[in-house]
Amino acid sequence: MLQGALAGLAAGGLYAVLAVCLTLMSRLVRVVNFAQSATGMFGCYVAVWLSVHVGLPTWAATVVGIVLGGGLSALLGWIISTWLAEADIGTRSAVTVAVLLLLISLSFILFGNKPQPFHPILDGPAFSVNGVVVSQVTVVTVVLSVVIALGCRALLTKTSFGLELRALSERPTTAELMGIPAKPLAVAVWAATGLLSTLVISIVAPSQSNDATSLSMLVVPASAAALLGGFRRLDLAVVGGLVLGMAQGAVAQVDSLSVVRYFLPFLVIVGLLLWSQRKEVWDVAR
Amino acid sequence: MNALQVQGITVTRGAGPVIRDVGFTLEPGRITALVGPNGAGKTSLLEAISGVVPAARGSVRIGSTEITKHSRVARAKLGLAHIEQGRAVFPGLTVLENLKLTARTWPRVEEVLALFPELDKRRNSPTALLSGGEQQMVVLARAFAARPKFLLIDEMSLGLAPVVFTRLLPMVTRFASEGAAILLVEQFTHLALGVSQDAIVVSSGRVTYQGSAQDLLAAPETLHSAYLGE
Repeated sequence: MLQGALAGLAAGGLYAVLAVCLTLMSRLVRVVNFAQSATGMFGCYVAVWLSVHVGLPTWAATVVGIVLGGGLSALLGWIISTWLAEADIGTRSAVTVAVLLLLISLSFILFGNKPQPFHPILDGPAFSVNGVVVSQVTVVTVVLSVVIALGCRALLTKTSFGLELRALSERPTTAELMGIPAKPLAVAVWAATGLLSTLVISIVAPSQSNDATSLSMLVVPASAAALLGGFRRLDLAVVGGLVLGMAQGAVAQVDSLSVVRYFLPFLVIVGLLLWSQRKEVWDVAR
Repeated sequence: MNALQVQGITVTRGAGPVIRDVGFTLEPGRITALVGPNGAGKTSLLEAISGVVPAARGSVRIGSTEITKHSRVARAKLGLAHIEQGRAVFPGLTVLENLKLTARTWPRVEEVLALFPELDKRRNSPTALLSGGEQQMVVLARAFAARPKFLLIDEMSLGLAPVVFTRLLPMVTRFASEGAAILLVEQFTHLALGVSQDAIVVSSGRVTYQGSAQDLLAAPETLHSAYLGE
């Protein structure tokens, strides 16, 4: 069980970083970005293609892929900020569903429907706990998720850039009337979350199911983790991601329950949504 | 200092125009009261000047610079500030954070807080926890902190007790005395005219009076007929 839980931490770190990205997007640019992991997947696939077919060194291909993931996300942010600036969160989020499907289809057309031959960026064990090996990937993703969450919190609360982002997220029109440039700031958030998603996916993908659909659908467990923090709190998003990853890893160790790990994120989402509605149900009952 | 010139502005919302061919000039150091019945188009006019809604026709200029097609951000950078209707605070930010958004320096924040002792006492409170009057003070203080050349104020008194509003009005006067041109939209017509040098009355989207605020205040029948669009 412990071995499974620790093995699940790598995926947990991945979920946590993606959940932080989703939370930032929801808080700062009013979008639930369903294409969050799909842009990362596409950047990683291009990196693999550059490495395998063009002969670029793995590190260089990975850098190009990460920049591409950030660029794709920035382009989507620019489109939404330009044409859907005044639209509600539902409409803006619906556009990202279309982009999710577009990127999956595009990856099938360009790269085929088989998993890609990723070269691992990190490989090998980091240390052991009671005979259970913890991999370098696990350590890096967990540390990365915590560092990114703390860094984002510091950025939002301690810098004038963060202050402007928070103002923009609360009253976009008022912020613009005060001279805060909404579009460049929003595009910067899109680009940063795109870069982070691609980075973390490129670290974890070699050791996970890495077909286009599996990587794109990482947005589901990431959403479950972000939902724990109500798409507002970065700390709970990280905790949610790590716990979900560990729970999936632990469940996978029990033969009779192993299939449940695929449904676990959905169960968490349903459970959290029901829990969040308890007050309304109670109010109606009264 | 330059003046802000509005020439032949028409604003359309939905089926038809809500402001038709309106023109006036805001001079530095002067307060202009913009009054009229509900639905006359006062808010739409302010929004067209600051770029919240586009103008269908006409132009807005600051000095010789035409800003009609400028973004809201570009207009703000030219010194135009717009206090929107309602209490346009950022509720999750503290009083200090609200002020830091527009005050470029720390001394300016302290200078503005000195004008509003009530806010100084609650400088670290989230603005969501302040009273309606205090929230409106934050909005006013935030606008002052930016030192705009032109300030559009839309229904500052909305939802406030008259006694709170009368506490805020001298701040507007003080700001004008420092050289800002102010366009004041207000439901408390007499209070607004009392602090203004110029007045514009709009009714059904058209200007029905343009002239001295004191003349309008002294002749209630003129105000009444202007409200009725006569």
